[in-house]
Amino acid sequence: MPEIKVTPLGAGQDVGRSCILVSIAGKNVMLDCGMHMGYNDDRRFPDFSYITQNGRLTDFLDCVIISHFHLDHCGALPYFSEMVGYDGPIYMTHPTKAICPILLEDYRKITVDKKGETNFFTSQMIKDCMKKVVAVHLHQTVQVDEELEIKAYYAGHVLGAAMFQIKVGCESVVYTGDYNMTPDRHLGAAWIDKCRPDLLISESTYATTIRDSKRCRERDFLKKVHETVERGGKVLIPVFALGRAQELCILLETFWERMNLKAPIYFSTGLTEKANHYYKLFITWTNQKIRKTFVQRNMFEFKHIKAFDRAFADNPGPMVVFATPGMLHAGQSLQIFRKWAGNEKNMVIMPGYCVQGTVGHKILSGQRKLEMEGRQILEVKMQVEYMSFSAHADAKGIMQLIRQAEPRNVLLVHGEAKKMEFLKQKIEQEFHVSCFMPANGETTTILTNPCIPVDISLGLLKRETAIGPVPDAKKPKLMHGTLLMKDNSFRLVSPEQALKELGLAEHQLRFTCRVHIQDPRKEHETVLRVYNHLKG
Amino acid sequence: YRDLHTFELQAPTRLIEWARGNRVCVAGYGQSDGNEILQLIPPPTLLTKETQGLCPERDFKVECGGFSERPVYSLKYVPDTSLLVTSGPPDSSLQVWQVSAEDTDVIKSVSTISTEDGTGQSWAKIATISARAPWVLHGSRLDRVQITEVESRKNVYTAASRGSEELSNLTFLDCNTLLLCCVTGRLWLADIRQPQSLVEDMSVPSVPCSEQWCMGTRHAAQGLEPSSQPVVRLSSRGLLTLTDLRKTSELLALAKARVPSPGSGAEFLCVSWAPALEGYLAISGFDGTVHVYDTQSWDSFGREAEPIFVHKGHAFGGAGGSGDPPLVTAHTWHLQKPRTLLSASSDGSLHVWDWVQPCGKC
Repeated sequence: MPEIKVTPLGAGQDVGRSCILVSIAGKNVMLDCGMHMGYNDDRRFPDFSYITQNGRLTDFLDCVIISHFHLDHCGALPYFSEMVGYDGPIYMTHPTKAICPILLEDYRKITVDKKGETNFFTSQMIKDCMKKVVAVHLHQTVQVDEELEIKAYYAGHVLGAAMFQIKVGCESVVYTGDYNMTPDRHLGAAWIDKCRPDLLISESTYATTIRDSKRCRERDFLKKVHETVERGGKVLIPVFALGRAQELCILLETFWERMNLKAPIYFSTGLTEKANHYYKLFITWTNQKIRKTFVQRNMFEFKHIKAFDRAFADNPGPMVVFATPGMLHAGQSLQIFRKWAGNEKNMVIMPGYCVQGTVGHKILSGQRKLEMEGRQILEVKMQVEYMSFSAHADAKGIMQLIRQAEPRNVLLVHGEAKKMEFLKQKIEQEFHVSCFMPANGETTTILTNPCIPVDISLGLLKRETAIGPVPDAKKPKLMHGTLLMKDNSFRLVSPEQALKELGLAEHQLRFTCRVHIQDPRKEHETVLRVYNHLKG
Repeated sequence: YRDLHTFELQAPTRLIEWARGNRVCVAGYGQSDGNEILQLIPPPTLLTKETQGLCPERDFKVECGGFSERPVYSLKYVPDTSLLVTSGPPDSSLQVWQVSAEDTDVIKSVSTISTEDGTGQSWAKIATISARAPWVLHGSRLDRVQITEVESRKNVYTAASRGSEELSNLTFLDCNTLLLCCVTGRLWLADIRQPQSLVEDMSVPSVPCSEQWCMGTRHAAQGLEPSSQPVVRLSSRGLLTLTDLRKTSELLALAKARVPSPGSGAEFLCVSWAPALEGYLAISGFDGTVHVYDTQSWDSFGREAEPIFVHKGHAFGGAGGSGDPPLVTAHTWHLQKPRTLLSASSDGSLHVWDWVQPCGKC
């Protein structure tokens, strides 16, 4: 029976790094190549030795697909392609291709420069790796080779995140990466058509959560900012150039307008340039609202938000500043942080995950005395808050996606086995499909029932429809023909045509059978009766 | 508000029950099967005493869940066991479930406690206690009240029959005393050591009987007489009565809540005492709001009472315009945090809110 084999090399049943190997109809695809952010040694990389003990990866894998730029999905890519060795194509969406190298380089800097790691990829490796990348558009069918094709679908979650459909012949797998089914201020919701894949691979990290509403999170965020500003403090919000920054800006601008607040809000210029640049490139990836406002005015022409100048950091009085980079590990945001850290009236709000080793990570873990360059100790008296607007699908979202795509089987990654039993039952009961939850390194085999398309000759069709009543579209109809298999094509033709094509003569086989009939009547009478029976 | 968190459940619930370890349980009551029973872990902000502002974990987590074929109208945990009991239409039988969060996160159906059913029985109201053994008190009508041992399903006690009125609530006041409330508002006390004893409390105000009533009781602190805590009854027209069970001939207090009339029926009427605030109670079930009252200023004249706080969140939540406005189906107080409540409504929303005591004026 044809089958699809899935082996998670990371994810499976732990959250941390995603790297899934899929074997479909003889093709091998690697989905994501993430780094585990919690480990400092080789455990952070997926276990590639599983793929092939000997033999080159490039020969074994047909392609690598990266779903989005988060490091737990692409962090190990340069290591994989340059240090382990892979020269085949790497597919990702355009925004992912643009943003990945920046994040990878940032990450490399932190790990190597700050922490002094040696077994790590270099800047050149990142560049070489990105040269192997082929960027794809949404809903564009890309032929990897004659048989394998892939297609990207919008996934929400972050800019450029995509769900991928991998198709070989009539077997297909859909990999979701991280996705979100509810739109937020700057991204739309994930969407897929009723593609009916044999298998849907979905993340289930947040499957067991019931999320607090966005309004409440936003309200709490605004409250904190407002309180700090009211008492004369300064608020620092370190952000990455794109995505959440826009959302928070829009949020603050509206709030400032409504409450008639006077404290200045600044956006560091490096940010504005980069962000504007990216937005122009990827405007189609954001949601309707953003697109409309972008058309009407420049993204960053806010009434209350102005461009930042380094000197402003020393100005007295309250203010709010958005600055990069997002983890406080270098650059402008770190500079501002150092200036403001000593005052307890000030506040820093971290908007997302921070990698180990960064100042952001340290202060979030509660450290209040930091060692800076030159052995200087910085005492952190300012308030440290954490707020995550990151969007993942919850149980409701997963059910929605399954309903949209109508897969025949579902495979869950990124969750703990014990805690996914309920979700597994839920999916199986509601959709009557099998649900799998493999562990790292465990291979799940899914049997598929592929349809093999067969061309039927017109003559045969005509003949069959002429016999008997018009066939019911919904009921299978039995018919007779000859199946000709040549190379990879299948044709159904009438026996006469088959004979002609094959240059064979028709053989006629006559069966005779001796039957004894006991009948008292005369011989020719009995024969007549039998004959009349048969005729009638 | 000091704090407000809103959540959306996949299916609306009409019960919110607290379980060991600060867990919260909700369950679906839809007509089709596939109703889910969910045991949730509240976000850390709700578990600590102080309210934190921004916190990484702000979501409820589904700790375990089960599937029920019938709608779940009532659910009670059996103390000191890993079992819970549910009831719901179409009949008055009970379903017993096992919650074992160790090796699996599925709440499994274990057994059914069936009752002899007359036709047209409505669903059973339930209460549990584990004083002598795990018991469940249940019944849909006054003449069908019994106590069953949960594990063995043996009947331990049957209350004397005093009529066939439908019950709205029942509870254990202590391990020997039962309190039953009928939809007509009549209260009955029983001592299970004396099989035929069922004493009616006479203090129902004489009002037209078209109303339906429900009651709320408060668990006394250790050592206090359970019957020293007043019992509150709420009618579908908004009347609230306070009764001291030791002096059942007269009402302690009577007040009228300002509720929309005509009421939307008594299906989701709910009244409860605050466990950590003396004299405060909350009511819901009339519309999309939850009212909080301070009963200490009440007298027996039946005047209109001013709520200390009204939670209107559910009324604003719902899908704009389509269908009926959301109706609050259940509410409950947080067991430790004095001013925190949880409320659920018919549109599937679940709110957790912490109100601020208005200062000064009253």
